[in-house]
Amino acid sequence: MAVREAAVAGIGRTAFSKCSGRTPLAMAAEAARAALDDAGLRPADVDGIIDFSTGDSASGPDVARAVGAVDLGLAMDLQGGGNLAVTVVGQAFAAVRAGTCDVVVVFRSLNGRSGNRYGRGDRPALAMRGDMQFAALNGYVIPPMWIAMFAQRHKHVYGTTDEDFGQIAITFRRHAAANPHAMQRQPIDMDDYLAARWICEPFRLYDCCLETDGAVALVVTSLDRARDLRQVPVRMAGFGEGHTHGGSWTNFPDLSEMYSAYAARRLWASTGLRPADIDVACLYDCFTGTVMATFEDFGFCPKGQTGAFFAEGRATYGGDVVVNPHGGLLSEGYLHGLNHHFEAVRQLRGDAGDRQVAGARHALVTAGAGPAGGALIYEAGQ
Amino acid sequence: MSGHGPVPPPEPLIDADSAGFWQATREGRIALCRCTGCGTWLARPLERCHRCAAPTSFEAVAGTGSIYSYIVVHHPGVPAFAHLVPYVIALVEFDEGPRLPGILLGERGPGVAIGQRVRAELTAFPGAAEHAITFRRVDLPAADFPAARR
Repeated sequence: MAVREAAVAGIGRTAFSKCSGRTPLAMAAEAARAALDDAGLRPADVDGIIDFSTGDSASGPDVARAVGAVDLGLAMDLQGGGNLAVTVVGQAFAAVRAGTCDVVVVFRSLNGRSGNRYGRGDRPALAMRGDMQFAALNGYVIPPMWIAMFAQRHKHVYGTTDEDFGQIAITFRRHAAANPHAMQRQPIDMDDYLAARWICEPFRLYDCCLETDGAVALVVTSLDRARDLRQVPVRMAGFGEGHTHGGSWTNFPDLSEMYSAYAARRLWASTGLRPADIDVACLYDCFTGTVMATFEDFGFCPKGQTGAFFAEGRATYGGDVVVNPHGGLLSEGYLHGLNHHFEAVRQLRGDAGDRQVAGARHALVTAGAGPAGGALIYEAGQ
Repeated sequence: MSGHGPVPPPEPLIDADSAGFWQATREGRIALCRCTGCGTWLARPLERCHRCAAPTSFEAVAGTGSIYSYIVVHHPGVPAFAHLVPYVIALVEFDEGPRLPGILLGERGPGVAIGQRVRAELTAFPGAAEHAITFRRVDLPAADFPAARR
């Protein structure tokens, strides 16, 4: 029996805000309903649900029931951070291809600003066990610290400058200006970037993403079924992940690179594509430093050249690849990476409005930072 | 916060695999996990060695190492250390191999660089149940640390 193909048939999301006043369950249900409506599917069609959280969301089966889906053949609540934002979609495709499910909802819902804030250390998002138990008592417990530690090493090895990080933040903010859904749309220039306060050296304010309340959902079904639905199906060329070195933030061997140095081989082997084939890249950008390391590791430019690549306009419209046309986590909002999938799908449908990348056929989505993460490539067309 | 004493730092989740490390700190020693068979130092304490599966134990280290990377914390995101900003957290590679993160005592950023030599010490931060591994630079000018001048 031939393996059946799968596709994204629907996307949905809530408003993004600083204070939703709602439960993660309510927001997830709204995003899931919106994604099903977008596809033209009914809740009763749903037989699989996959999500991830750090204990700050609602369970998949609870969300499914909230929209009227009470009999699931697959329910996966993964525990972890943005490193799982490709895993959840990759496994939804795998489940549909294998025939385990016909219609899978993938979601992420969180009150990232009004609830538990990852940027604050009162309740760390990661459990203080394993290597992390040695970080706890020094308060080395929040993501800006961990990724700044990587960025400092990148500066040391490659002579990376503050302005190189700034180019990334400035480019994404300029893109967000054309995105009505973005949390921050006011353009910034290099003077603004450099004048902003330090958060965690080498990161200033604009190097850090925007903690946000909201939810995003996708619906994945078989390609055959998707062809009969409301939207043009978006297929996946393949995906590759790298969950390395036990997830250690401190003993990952080379802090001038990230998981992407490992996942790149799997990504390109799985898809048969290369960086020059990518039209849109939704790079996981919890911090500018994450973009810098992963963009290089995935082979878009040599190590140490990201700042120049962005400065020369090669990461925006008219360049080699448009990186984060929605503004990314830095300017659209931190929906833990699932908003990158939403944007990639809109771009490949040709439905991205003022920020449409002309003729976009392949969209890369990456997820995660440091020792663990992954990437997948969506493909336009029937 | 006021009137309730200092906010303690987050607590480590100590288990049977790591108990030896914490027991040593309570005795004023720094000991890391090491394989009794092949001698490998393990950054992450394990019951058995990840290379040869022999039993492990906790063995004293020299307490010296080099700054592999560092950050300067300006935003008071972690309440226990909000009063210290700006302060430095160094990721130190011990001479035995494993890396541990810790506050670089007495530093506010300027002058700190990757590669500098440090010595580890145990610090009891207010409200903390256990001692933290912290560091001090030992490559300061001769007037401060004559013996450590390199």
